[in-house]
Amino acid sequence: MEDSVVLRADSLSKRYGAVQALKNVSITLYAGQTHALVGSNGAGKSTLVKILTGAVVPDSGTIEINGKPMPVGDPRTALDAGIACIYQWPNLVAELSVADNIMLGHHPTNAFGIVNRKVQRRWVRNLLEKHNLQLDLDAPVGSLSSVQQKEVEIAKALSLDASVILMDEPTAALSHSEVEKLFRSIEQLCQQGVAVLYISHILDEIFRVAQRVTVLRDGQLRLSAAAADLTKASLVDAMLGRELSSEVGQAKPQDQVDRPVVLECRNLNKEGVFSNISFKVHEGEILCITGLVGAKRSELVRAIFGADPADGGELWLWGKQVRIRHPLDAIRLGIGFVPEDRHQDGLFMQLSIGLNTIMSSLNRVTKAGLLHPGLMRIAADEQIGKMEIVPAIADYPVKNLSGGNQQKVQLGRWLMGNTRLLILDEPTVGIDIGTKASIYRLLRDLASNGTPVIVVSSDIEEVLTIADRIIVMADGHITGTYVRGFVTQEQILAAASGEMN
Amino acid sequence: MDSPTSSLRISDQSRRGFAALARKIIGQYGLLIILFIITFAFSLLRPAFWSINNQINIVFASSLIGIMAVCSTFVVLTRGIDISVGSTVALSGLVAALILESDGTLFIPSILAGLAASAVVGLANGLAISYLGLPPIVVTLAALTIVRGVALLIGGSILHLIREPAEFLFIGGGRVLGVPFPIFIFFAIAALMLFIQVRTQLGLTVFAIGVNERAATLCGLPVRFVKLLVYLISSLGAGIAGIVLASQVSTASANYGNALELDVIAAIVVGGTSLNGGQGSVHRSVLGALLIAAVNNGLSILNVSTDQQLIAKGAIIVIAIVLGYWLQEWSERL
Amino acid sequence: MQRKQLMGTLSLLTILLLIVIIFSLVSPNFRTLNNLRSILSSYSHIAIMAIGVSFPILLGEIDLSVGAIMGLVGMVMFNLLLIHEVSGPVAIVIGLGIGILCGLVNAFLIVRLKLQPFIATLATLVAYRGIIYGISGRQLFPETTVKAITDPIYISIDGRIDIVPYAFIYLILLVMITHLVLQYTRWGINLYAAGGNEMAARLSGINVNRIRVFAYAFSGLCSALAALILTSRMRSTQESLGLSFELSAIAAAVIGGVSLRGGVGNTVGPAIGAFLTGTLYTGLTMAGVTTYAQPVVVGVVLIGAVAYDKFLASRRVNHRSQKDMQYGG
Repeated sequence: MEDSVVLRADSLSKRYGAVQALKNVSITLYAGQTHALVGSNGAGKSTLVKILTGAVVPDSGTIEINGKPMPVGDPRTALDAGIACIYQWPNLVAELSVADNIMLGHHPTNAFGIVNRKVQRRWVRNLLEKHNLQLDLDAPVGSLSSVQQKEVEIAKALSLDASVILMDEPTAALSHSEVEKLFRSIEQLCQQGVAVLYISHILDEIFRVAQRVTVLRDGQLRLSAAAADLTKASLVDAMLGRELSSEVGQAKPQDQVDRPVVLECRNLNKEGVFSNISFKVHEGEILCITGLVGAKRSELVRAIFGADPADGGELWLWGKQVRIRHPLDAIRLGIGFVPEDRHQDGLFMQLSIGLNTIMSSLNRVTKAGLLHPGLMRIAADEQIGKMEIVPAIADYPVKNLSGGNQQKVQLGRWLMGNTRLLILDEPTVGIDIGTKASIYRLLRDLASNGTPVIVVSSDIEEVLTIADRIIVMADGHITGTYVRGFVTQEQILAAASGEMN
Repeated sequence: MDSPTSSLRISDQSRRGFAALARKIIGQYGLLIILFIITFAFSLLRPAFWSINNQINIVFASSLIGIMAVCSTFVVLTRGIDISVGSTVALSGLVAALILESDGTLFIPSILAGLAASAVVGLANGLAISYLGLPPIVVTLAALTIVRGVALLIGGSILHLIREPAEFLFIGGGRVLGVPFPIFIFFAIAALMLFIQVRTQLGLTVFAIGVNERAATLCGLPVRFVKLLVYLISSLGAGIAGIVLASQVSTASANYGNALELDVIAAIVVGGTSLNGGQGSVHRSVLGALLIAAVNNGLSILNVSTDQQLIAKGAIIVIAIVLGYWLQEWSERL
Repeated sequence: MQRKQLMGTLSLLTILLLIVIIFSLVSPNFRTLNNLRSILSSYSHIAIMAIGVSFPILLGEIDLSVGAIMGLVGMVMFNLLLIHEVSGPVAIVIGLGIGILCGLVNAFLIVRLKLQPFIATLATLVAYRGIIYGISGRQLFPETTVKAITDPIYISIDGRIDIVPYAFIYLILLVMITHLVLQYTRWGINLYAAGGNEMAARLSGINVNRIRVFAYAFSGLCSALAALILTSRMRSTQESLGLSFELSAIAAAVIGGVSLRGGVGNTVGPAIGAFLTGTLYTGLTMAGVTTYAQPVVVGVVLIGAVAYDKFLASRRVNHRSQKDMQYGG
């Protein structure tokens, strides 16, 4: 293992509107070394990756590769400089074949630009053999399972003969044996002198694979040290920042056993997505569904809400079986849903806070068949007050609000209606600590008043803070069910990686 | 930006002052101001433009486009488009004329039949776009050709005369207190549409769909049904216009309404409603229709040939869209 | 992927064959060589334009100005050959150049000014039509309306060998070249990638904007070629040349299996699509179906093609949400 510097990134910063995604982050990668980048959701890891691969232009900072400065903001430049990346979500073209996707952008061609398919097949086959990957070279990538697509994504990065390989949550959606294959490949790469940046929040993997660790939190560098000098505990401390739990306060222990069941899922399944999902939600509880990226948690809750209905299984609400094929069905039954992507699915960015708030409860502000401006105004102001939205002006355009306040608007929308069960998908990603705390308080109040809450979250710290019960999913199955106070972080992580409870 | 309701207005409280107000006015009404300047230029070239008679002509001429524009505004607000309205105009007038040809006393049935025919077109469009998820431009393009073909099939390319009953001819040709009747129809329909837009759940849902259709679905709004309705309304507007036109010129033909959709879209876009959906209003389409009629009138007075008129109007739409987009960006960036 | 596309193209051909067989049985006039010549002659240039316009469509965009470009090139040819008495070969080069230039203007509006393709090409459609009138030699020198182009080289653009018009030969050559480029070169793969998943293409180092420029320039070039064919045939031109041809070209491409969403389709399909609509029109006329019913039939076919494409798309993606394919989750 040499000590030569392959990549040096200095003081990178990036701001998105009101959110400082990255602030003065520097990182150095050495040849033949695996460097882990750690942090919870929204800590800035993805932004850093996007800057290094040229997908995003940083507001400030420089990048040097192999001693030479690298211009930012152009993926071609980054690729030519020798930076490859295994992205978290596979970046593939569904209609093209596996081989074409792997070699996309650098096919073997002759002088006329004609792709030498024979040579390409040979290269790809050799590559796959070398890394023990089994893939059908001619299959259109769109027909593959998510695991296979991930493997194509991995092969794609490996095919570039890069000097730096970034891996963004590479083991998400992979089973145990595939993870082992990947680790062997990483070893091989390091022996060849490649520098690997390994992004993950699974601690066991990090200690297994990395020699150096950098921790990001809230966009800033918190810790950078040799892996040998760290313990799991110190790592977790740096990642989570223990101050948080004291801010939120301890949730009151809840006695779940005898509470009435509000929602029961029996054997829900959706072909190719999730299967065998059975669980219960009780009155007054906050249930967290956690897992790694690709565990299909969002798909599950969207199915419960009727946005992408399940293929089979039963849903029972307050002891009566129900059919939910469309969000309207769910809303009529009293279920509310705050989706993961508030820009694309949740809010009407160009409209006002008031309009966003009343949009699910139009019948409540209608009198004699017509919308009543007075009722609209009253209802909007009431929710804005309850949610403590800043600024508390009903006409204010939602797009100018901070992320946290935007989430509160969504909460307000559902609380205005007859919501008797609220589902939230990754509600606090990219939100500042203060607003996170107030959202946790709102959820806790809601649950205490009888309305159960289901929270999908990848943030294990968050889960351990607010959940009364925890369900862990991996690759479309439930792998563990726990009660708070009777589970450790390690157990959750293990279940999330696919080890059954 | 126009808001769906008058009481919960979208106002950007963060900027104040005269400069900000000026920017806002230019951003929202810039197009209309520009066109007003253009028509003023017409009047300088031909003073006859400003005669009372000519002005009444303009408002009269705007009624036809206006009825269609206010009914098609909702479609545009949902990020869709309906280019089949011109053909539907011909179909509806033709159906009414054919009924009257067979029996001149069937006044009400003829109108109902014409409207029913346009409703069928609207429903077909709506079903294909909303429930099959096909792109509006292609569906209404196909509808444009199909409806025109059907009209030709049932009526041939001849002119069908409508000589009776007097009630029918009154719709397009009559006057009340000296003002042509179509103007009343136009304003009545415009008022109705504006009311729906501002005071009903339907109106608010239309805006919601235009701003963010996925969010609208997740809010439990009846998105597919509303999308169906807006195409139905659009075709009904064309149907009403078809009857007014037939009554006005006492004839019906399968060839009427050719390229009328261009005028309608021009009126909507020039009025400031965005083709991207979620922004605009019925009252803007009224203004747009008036201005397009003024431009048409001006071009006729200047003796511009029909082909060139087409180009001029096309140019105006495009400039309107591009300018509108730029003005929007500019006023937002500051 | 090759297999699926092959299946699609084959089924198109089968449908075309079926239509030909049905009409041949129904009307004797259809079965003649004369009719075949007529169809080849009348629709080869539409097929050429359909191929041209399918490049922007493969990118998931659209080019509405192809008809106007055709008209503009036609008028420039008229002016050059009849008024300025430029020689044939020079005029041809200029004509093709103008087509490319018009396409580059489209690309500029879309790439640099970031206008939506629908609006940008709508704008150029109107602008080019306006320019046609502005430069129209027929208006400025009315005596030219009765003159005919006589340059021998230019006239030979639209000749024929027996029943096969040269236009059809140009079409075949064009199909072969574009097919080669799209299926066998890296530019072809890059184009499909840019249309199928622009972000993935970008992150793979593909210069998507350069591909855009090329696509619109090529579309303009094909329109120019079509203009040369028609003006050579008519020995003159009209201001309305190419009017609403963009609709025929786009319809032919869509019927030919090029998805409006991008990333799906080839260039054989649009050619077949053009002849499919052409044969339908001709066959219907000969079968005695009134001309009025024809637009109805084509409209229905167009809807059918789009609905079928949508059906294929929903099966393609199946349970995988589109989000899984894109970076930035």
